[in-house]
Amino acid sequence: MIASRPAIQFSGSLQLTFRELWSTYVTLGLFVVSTICWLFLTFAMNLDVVEGSVAALRIFGFESTPTDHIRDPETGEWMSQSMGLDKLVVGIQSFVFGASYFLGTLLGIFAAAPLTASLVTESRIGLLLSKPLSRHRFLAGHVLGVFATVLLLSTYLVLSVWLVLSLKTGIWVPSFLLAIPIITLMFGVMYSVVLLVVVITGSSGFALVTSYGLIFISFILAAQEQILTQLITPGKEIFLGLYYLLPNFIEAVPFAVQLVEGDPVQNWVPITSSIVFGAVAFFGAFQWFSRKDF
Amino acid sequence: MHDPVVQATSLGKQYSGGFRAKPIQALSDFSLTVHRGEVFGLLGPNGAGKTTFIKALLGVIRPTSGSATLLGQPIGTPASRFRVGYLPEQHRFPGYLTAVQALDLYARLSGHDAPSRKSESVRLLGRVGLAEWADTKVKKFSKGMMQRLGLAQALMGDPELVILDEPTDGVDPIGRREIRDLVTWLSQSGTTVFLNSHLLSEVEMVCTRAAILNDGKLVGQGSIAELTTAPAAYEAQGTPVDAGLPGLPDGVTHDGELPWATYRIHADSPEELTAMLGQLIKAGVTLRQVTSGKRTLEQAFVEIVADAEAAN
Ligand SMILES: Nc1ncnc2c1ncn2[C@@H]1O[C@H](COP(=O)(O)OP(=O)(O)O)[C@@H](O)[C@H]1O
Ligand SMILES: [Mg+2]
Repeated sequence: MIASRPAIQFSGSLQLTFRELWSTYVTLGLFVVSTICWLFLTFAMNLDVVEGSVAALRIFGFESTPTDHIRDPETGEWMSQSMGLDKLVVGIQSFVFGASYFLGTLLGIFAAAPLTASLVTESRIGLLLSKPLSRHRFLAGHVLGVFATVLLLSTYLVLSVWLVLSLKTGIWVPSFLLAIPIITLMFGVMYSVVLLVVVITGSSGFALVTSYGLIFISFILAAQEQILTQLITPGKEIFLGLYYLLPNFIEAVPFAVQLVEGDPVQNWVPITSSIVFGAVAFFGAFQWFSRKDF
Repeated sequence: MHDPVVQATSLGKQYSGGFRAKPIQALSDFSLTVHRGEVFGLLGPNGAGKTTFIKALLGVIRPTSGSATLLGQPIGTPASRFRVGYLPEQHRFPGYLTAVQALDLYARLSGHDAPSRKSESVRLLGRVGLAEWADTKVKKFSKGMMQRLGLAQALMGDPELVILDEPTDGVDPIGRREIRDLVTWLSQSGTTVFLNSHLLSEVEMVCTRAAILNDGKLVGQGSIAELTTAPAAYEAQGTPVDAGLPGLPDGVTHDGELPWATYRIHADSPEELTAMLGQLIKAGVTLRQVTSGKRTLEQAFVEIVADAEAAN
């Protein structure tokens, strides 16, 4: 097969990013942690199931009985009963999702920021840009390489956990697979900040501070209901403006969990406004990159 | 065949200089033409704007005024760089790649297909003397080996134009010699070479033509023979006369060696030269030949730059 010149060039840009990412320990570390995770679920966790409820859960042989606290419909009193198996499965999956959402994104941008910054250092970028491909295509190859790596890692983790749990329990929750695009997407939103800052300043430290700072701010934005009642004009408008403008990394979590658990999503705003923010930041980064003097 | 390989017209570059710093005019009104088959040297002291010019040609920076073409294509377009190889002034290849992998990667970015990438990297690693290091990781390479690998990279895909920015900088004398040989070999095989250097003797040895850049401005250009011709200086050979001979004109000195003496003449115009020669003849000198005075490229450079600075 004869590949066209643009295809070969694009593959070069992708390959450069892949190799660079695999040469860092963070990527390898995430792979190892994911492997431990599904191996753990496969071998260390044993379930005794009686009539659809979990009679006993053994982890490394230590036994416990997971319980649900529910209200008796007749007396209205709280009582305990052994947990429904489907609930346990969804619980474990939500936990895996939540952990990979946070850890995956935080560690992902931690690995990607120095990588992107090293690409735009003077001793590397001049030679790369002198090659006969457009700056847009070159940067797109890099960004896609980063995205593809995150997509591969999250697919590996989510798919393996999903398969192990489903095969073990016979309970298949397909909506859990939505965790793959959600993690990749929210990583992408935070990475857009890294890319924009690195392209403008060349500093991975500054990029990390900015994106972690935005995640920190999103903790505050997530408390909007409480905060808004405390604020008066113009503080209220400013806060709301920031709420819609900045990525809502934290507030997106409960709604993303609803999505992953297959429940109806109550509020799309945190997810969509984050995506819009990411799209604008990527656009800005590409524009700046295509004009910059290196 | 006589289309220019590099053509710059009034190229200018002003760096914004960053926050609150005043802008830097790194290149002003710079026009230059390089023809096919030449080995062209761009000379100038550090900070003269040589690297700026090369980066503008390759689209790494954008000129703020003027225009230029590379192999007939406007600069800044991928098409202008298809057949161009480049060795940057300072370059670093990813350390985890082997020499072969590094060459393969950069050739991929140029769009070369797999079979040609493979055969070219073997051929060129041999050419630059790195054949036995093909599968060694780049991070173990010395500065000189890095430079050779960089050269091999610049030659991948048989480019029509090779641009080298300070190729011998930081390289030991043997390495320099090898690089000079490589440039000569390239030029013999029909490749146009454009190189930047502040090392004048290097340029004098390999280049066919050169331009001198100072403070962003072109202050001189021509063939090496033209540049090393001293202006207003001539040498005449003829029969010797006594040093104290009355009538020997001002501006003429002479070595009275037998059988032919050399008269060094300073004359600002052909009329003045003719008049002085007339006086020599009147004084009884039989002339054998008259030539332009020579200077080394280094002298030429110092004089041209000094003239340019005096003119400012
Ligand atoms: N990216 C940049 N931003 C600001 N000034 C620069 C930049 N690159 C080079 N310069 C300045 O432009 C001038 C020319 O630099 P350069 O082209 O590297 O010279 P040379 O290669 O001849 O040594 C110098 O004064 C240098 O400080
Ligand atoms: Mg330079």
